[in-house]
Amino acid sequence: MTNQDKRLSRRHFVGATGAATLAGLAGCSGGNGGDGSDGGDGSDGGDGDGSDGDGGSDNTLEVLHAWTGGDGARAAEALVAAFEEEYPDVDHEFNPIGGGGNQNLDAVVANRLQNGDPPSSFANWPGPNLQRYEGVLGEVGGVWESEGFEDVMVDEAVDLHQYNGAYRAVPLGSHRLNCLFYNTSVVEEAGVDPDSLTSVSALIDALETVQSETDAIPMTHGASGTWTTTQLFASTMLGQEGYDAYMSFLDGSPDEAAVRATFESLAEILGNYINEDASSIGLTESNQNIIEGNAAFIHQGNWAAGAYRNAEDFNYDEDWGFKTYPGSEGMYMLHFDSFLYPSDNPSPEATEQFMAFAGSEAAQVAFNQYKGSIPTRTDVDMSQFGPYLQETQEDFASADQRPPNLQHGLGVPSETMTSLNDVISSEFSGPYDVDAATQGFVDAVSN
Amino acid sequence: MTRNTDTGDDSGDAVTDGGVAEDGQRSGFSPVAALNERFGSDFVESSQFWLPPFLLVGLFVYGAIIWNLLISLTDFTGFGTPDYSDLDLQMYSRALADSGFVDAAINTFILLVGFTLVTLALGLGLAILIDRNIRFENTFRTIYLLPMSLSFVVTAQFWAWMFNFNNGVINIVITSLGLGRVDWIGNPDIVLWAVMFALMWQFAGYAMVVFLAGLRAIPNEHYEAAKVDGASTVRMYWRVIIPQLKGSTISASVVLMVFALKAFDFLYSLVGGYRPPNGADILATKMVREAYANLNWAYASAVAITLFVMTLGIVGPYLYYQYNRGNL
Repeated sequence: MTNQDKRLSRRHFVGATGAATLAGLAGCSGGNGGDGSDGGDGSDGGDGDGSDGDGGSDNTLEVLHAWTGGDGARAAEALVAAFEEEYPDVDHEFNPIGGGGNQNLDAVVANRLQNGDPPSSFANWPGPNLQRYEGVLGEVGGVWESEGFEDVMVDEAVDLHQYNGAYRAVPLGSHRLNCLFYNTSVVEEAGVDPDSLTSVSALIDALETVQSETDAIPMTHGASGTWTTTQLFASTMLGQEGYDAYMSFLDGSPDEAAVRATFESLAEILGNYINEDASSIGLTESNQNIIEGNAAFIHQGNWAAGAYRNAEDFNYDEDWGFKTYPGSEGMYMLHFDSFLYPSDNPSPEATEQFMAFAGSEAAQVAFNQYKGSIPTRTDVDMSQFGPYLQETQEDFASADQRPPNLQHGLGVPSETMTSLNDVISSEFSGPYDVDAATQGFVDAVSN
Repeated sequence: MTRNTDTGDDSGDAVTDGGVAEDGQRSGFSPVAALNERFGSDFVESSQFWLPPFLLVGLFVYGAIIWNLLISLTDFTGFGTPDYSDLDLQMYSRALADSGFVDAAINTFILLVGFTLVTLALGLGLAILIDRNIRFENTFRTIYLLPMSLSFVVTAQFWAWMFNFNNGVINIVITSLGLGRVDWIGNPDIVLWAVMFALMWQFAGYAMVVFLAGLRAIPNEHYEAAKVDGASTVRMYWRVIIPQLKGSTISASVVLMVFALKAFDFLYSLVGGYRPPNGADILATKMVREAYANLNWAYASAVAITLFVMTLGIVGPYLYYQYNRGNL
């Protein structure tokens, strides 16, 4: 036997490694119990590391949000400036994480919470949306009490910021969802009076008039994401089927006939009166159709109005107008931008100060006037806001009902929301299958 | 990797097979010498170079894959720690019952096969044309290869503009030919092919370079012999040259297939979110949606493992082929 024979050639070594890997795989998947508990230990170790890391940066307040562009960035800057004025001694770090709406922020937050390295606070939606953060949110009931938030916020805010019987978050501002915006000159050319549109069928008639009287798109829609259609469904259902039908849909006992009737109206609108390129454009491009006078109406949350304010020579009441979504007069479909409080907080004291600040008049005025939203407090001096937001605030304070939105966290848990959007994507993004979409929506909320 | 260390050894190195080490008939038993004898003369001395990366890759790549597999067998959702005490294949049966998953898997497969085949054909065609001693050969080569150097983020935005319904170049060309506009992104029957076309545009240059290298490795005598025998150009390529490009074809297709599986970046950038246009959902986007939009970690892991198995199904035969040829 020579040395040469006994040596493994490289090829054999590769072969052996492959076999060993397979054996290892088999061994690991076979010995489930033991490996499993090892894995558990591993993540426990991660927790420990996380809190060690926190020890190093004890008092720095770290807030994550997704307001990176345009209005949002300016609003966030104003918020930080106001915070610095109010609490000059608190070390802070405000980290914007933009991209994909809130998706990148959500992914970063999910990873950090999972790794036991939570930020001090992060921006998100309250309501059923809090369900996905079950077990990792702390309590801020103390802040609500000491600041007297329960007395100054609307009742819906008080309810929606609690989960499992404790306050988990503090609201910063609110957008309105049941909005119909229009280009004044286009509707005038068509001879449509938007204020007379008090039902979904009246809206459809008006869209027909615009189509026959003008060259403009009756209703512009940006459907490259499914969320615009889902939120249009919510407003249409609220307007056509009423508050009770909408609320029972959210509560998981949908009336199938109501859902079907809503989809029938939607199919009529989306099938006949929207722009041809709807499925390949997003909100920004769609909204541009209103600004440029290419379209008569758009349904959106009132963040759309932010673009009008930034457009040149495009003024409220002169060039663009607002109408509550037909049929939902007297209602304000709620949306909240809130700050959530993770448990195991790296800077509990500073975070509570920040939470108290977020719900204060100073913060809400500073932030919302730039963001194009309104304060969630009802006792705020609105003089710094433009006329449109002042009207919105009046509607907000005097609304008969404030139903939660469907697409932005307040109506259903995030998993249901994903299922609803799956249905829109596969059944209702052209061609419009009313039967399948109705079935899909009923199934999605029913469980 | 995790074999038991012989308790008798005072050295910290793992002895993989005690039985072999025993046959040393020298005066003193030395595990180092035994290891060197078994695996090559520098095994222990060189270990400081290969062992750290070996262990790191083992832990962070293969360890992570195994952990992922374990998580896919749990019911882990939300935050906290997974419960490993109850392992089953529930997530996989859920996947099979989920029409979204099935659609995504089918789309992934279509993308994989369609994109790879067409890109290979296109790359081969370009390579043959460039190999015909044309003028400005290098310039053409650079032009064709350039798209590959761009990131998916750039090309996705670029194609989003190309495919734009109203102002996109493609629709402008089509309408100027007297045809109607096509909704490339919005029509669920078309969008996957549009995405495939964009990816093809990006990677045909890569396939071309691989084939060009293969063509250049074929001795001139083969061309000359074919010509002497009176073969037409087409026949020469079909019978003599292309059969010799088997190696290039295989290596190019493996790389292309892996790119097809990674089309996530492209789709994400195309729409700026986790949900691709209807009709273009693939397993990678589905996985990220389940993980980060729904926090269904176990389900997302099951999707990931499916994707991993698909990849392995592609790369495995290639590795085996190379191993058989003695290239590994």
